[in-house]
Amino acid sequence: MKVVCYFIIAFWAVYLVVLGVSFYSLFKETALEAFDWIDGGLIWFLIADFLARFVMQDTPAQNIKQYKLLNIPTKFLLHTFLLRMGVQRYNLFWFFFFLPFGLLAVPQFYGVGGLAGFLMGWWMAFVLNSYWYLLWRTLMNRNLLFCIIPISFYVVLVYWGIFHSVENQWLFNASIHLMRGFCLWRPWAFSLLFSVIVLLYVFNYHFQKKAVYQEISKQHIDTPVRSFDMRFLDKFGIVGEYLKLEIKSMFRNLVVRKQFVNGGLCMLMLCSLFSFSNIYDELPFMRVFICVYCFSCLGVMTQTSIMCAEGNYIDGLMVHKETILSLLRAKYYFQCLVLIIPVLFSLMPIMEGKLTVLTLLGCFLFTSGVVFPCLFQLAVYNDSTINLNEKITRSGKNTKIQMLVSAAAMFLPMAFMFVLVEIFSEMVASIVMASIGALGTLMHPFWLKSVYNRFMKRRYQNMESFRNSR
Amino acid sequence: MNLTIENLTKTFRGKKALDIERYIVHSGEVVGLVGNNGAGKTTLFRIVLDLLKADSGYVKIGGEIAGRPFSCDTSRSEDWKSYTGAFIDTGFLIDYLTPEEYFRFLAKITGIGDRSLAERLAHFECFMNGEIIGRKTLIRNLSMGNKQKVGIIGAMLHYPQLLILDEPFNFLDPTSQLTMKYLLESYAKEQRATIIVSSHNLIHTLDICNRITLLEQGRIIKDYDRDYALLTSEIEAYFRGNVNI
Repeated sequence: MKVVCYFIIAFWAVYLVVLGVSFYSLFKETALEAFDWIDGGLIWFLIADFLARFVMQDTPAQNIKQYKLLNIPTKFLLHTFLLRMGVQRYNLFWFFFFLPFGLLAVPQFYGVGGLAGFLMGWWMAFVLNSYWYLLWRTLMNRNLLFCIIPISFYVVLVYWGIFHSVENQWLFNASIHLMRGFCLWRPWAFSLLFSVIVLLYVFNYHFQKKAVYQEISKQHIDTPVRSFDMRFLDKFGIVGEYLKLEIKSMFRNLVVRKQFVNGGLCMLMLCSLFSFSNIYDELPFMRVFICVYCFSCLGVMTQTSIMCAEGNYIDGLMVHKETILSLLRAKYYFQCLVLIIPVLFSLMPIMEGKLTVLTLLGCFLFTSGVVFPCLFQLAVYNDSTINLNEKITRSGKNTKIQMLVSAAAMFLPMAFMFVLVEIFSEMVASIVMASIGALGTLMHPFWLKSVYNRFMKRRYQNMESFRNSR
Repeated sequence: MNLTIENLTKTFRGKKALDIERYIVHSGEVVGLVGNNGAGKTTLFRIVLDLLKADSGYVKIGGEIAGRPFSCDTSRSEDWKSYTGAFIDTGFLIDYLTPEEYFRFLAKITGIGDRSLAERLAHFECFMNGEIIGRKTLIRNLSMGNKQKVGIIGAMLHYPQLLILDEPFNFLDPTSQLTMKYLLESYAKEQRATIIVSSHNLIHTLDICNRITLLEQGRIIKDYDRDYALLTSEIEAYFRGNVNI
């Protein structure tokens, strides 16, 4: 996961720099100044930032537990954690976009001081967002249904402030006014955001204080489990049973669910780039590139730790005949089924003519027939059990082979497509990808058997390691 | 089913954990494996079940299946798995399932139909004592005793001809321990199965087993076969003073 996260951060950093420069070029000769367009879109940045924080930010209540054993007052711990969240490096992540954009767009109107104000304003907006996110994330840890409130808030705000009346987009205009206030170093702009930050900080302090005690003195609430039989999978025999396990594992284990949600969010973000923007319409390589990642990112994020969840009960599986082979098959079919999601999301760009059915097919088959076989090799080498319900994501558990395979799964398709698209065309690239992918997909019984055989050869080493890391 | 162990050795960080020259468990025997902590009981079970690699030697499981002789080295074939049931620790449990789902899963992968599963589970009703089925609780949220019960039932569900249980009386309340004893005795009789249990509970082990094997630092130091009076007094003497036998 760690290497995947680094890759995604690097990818978005480069992407944001390119986007910052492109946006300036795009908006510089319009009725409004380029920075007004960006400032007006404050709410969109805050929404994107809010979503991205699900991958990047934990809550103090989750982190503070271990420090409670030490003789440090909770008050001090909470203030430390909350202040640290305000000044964390992630709040500067969007500067990969705002710095190049600001350098090009702001100084010519407001000078260097204006640029500093512009950057300061955006930083404060993201600090505010950090505390805002913290409230909802803590509530969502209690019950996922709390996500409905921020979603509704954003939907209502965006509709009412932007889409409700084209003549009076008050949210757009207010955002421009506020951010101009920062460029001009108006005290009211700083005071306004600072007051909201302080308000959210205080609110968070009291809220987190309660959450910490709930986390520490957490009494296990044994809520009745809704058992779902999924009888329709019975017709697939033992593989069907393992498919049920995959689905139940995803719903009932926090870590597995988190991996899936994070991968799903990445998938949705990439799909959205396609469906709701025109910036790649003229770039065939970028089109194919994003399309492949729409399909493969979830697989890469979840299958990098393939078998690590099973490490918890590997002994029980291994005393039954050929269960690991059935398990691998089920995992593969499940991943292929999940590919339906990006197919559905790609329908919009297909209808708009941005993407061809052939490219879509090529990306689908390339993922199922090339990317997945690469990732499934990790089933042989992964030997570290993951705690299925661990609330805090621990980093640094990646083995060298995990890093290598996941990096290969991320970079090789990109290099391969780049060569094909540059030398030939998008159509040729799609045909080649579909052909190779179809072959790999049809050959899945063979390569899965090969993975199984190699797993069985390494079984003693893996099982011992799984047991030791439980 | 019979079990043959030949020249089995296992060393952990230079310390010999298991060293068994020859040991045979005959079909239908109920064997109790006793010994203090670190004697090598669990290591032996793990090697028998092919969950751990032996440094040398082999384990063979054999017998007669549907009138045909059957024998295989547990590290070279998976055929023995269909006739063997085992529970060592919670690493055998898929803890994000409910007990019902877990039993159903085991039933499916061992070829037991729904009706047959219900009948088999009915045999364990007394053992489950109304605390396992129908509670809509995940296995991970059960008490240790109930987890133990789920594991034991899971191991016996497909009526294996060789049943291996590591410390089955652990975590069980007194009533459940007695029920467990009755279950094992009746299972051995009804299924004519070979059962190997390890336990620190000497009373229960001596009650249910017709053979007791005493392990010390990985070596079999005594193998008592049915001479019950001698067996009881010697075993008690061993554990009371850890005297030489």
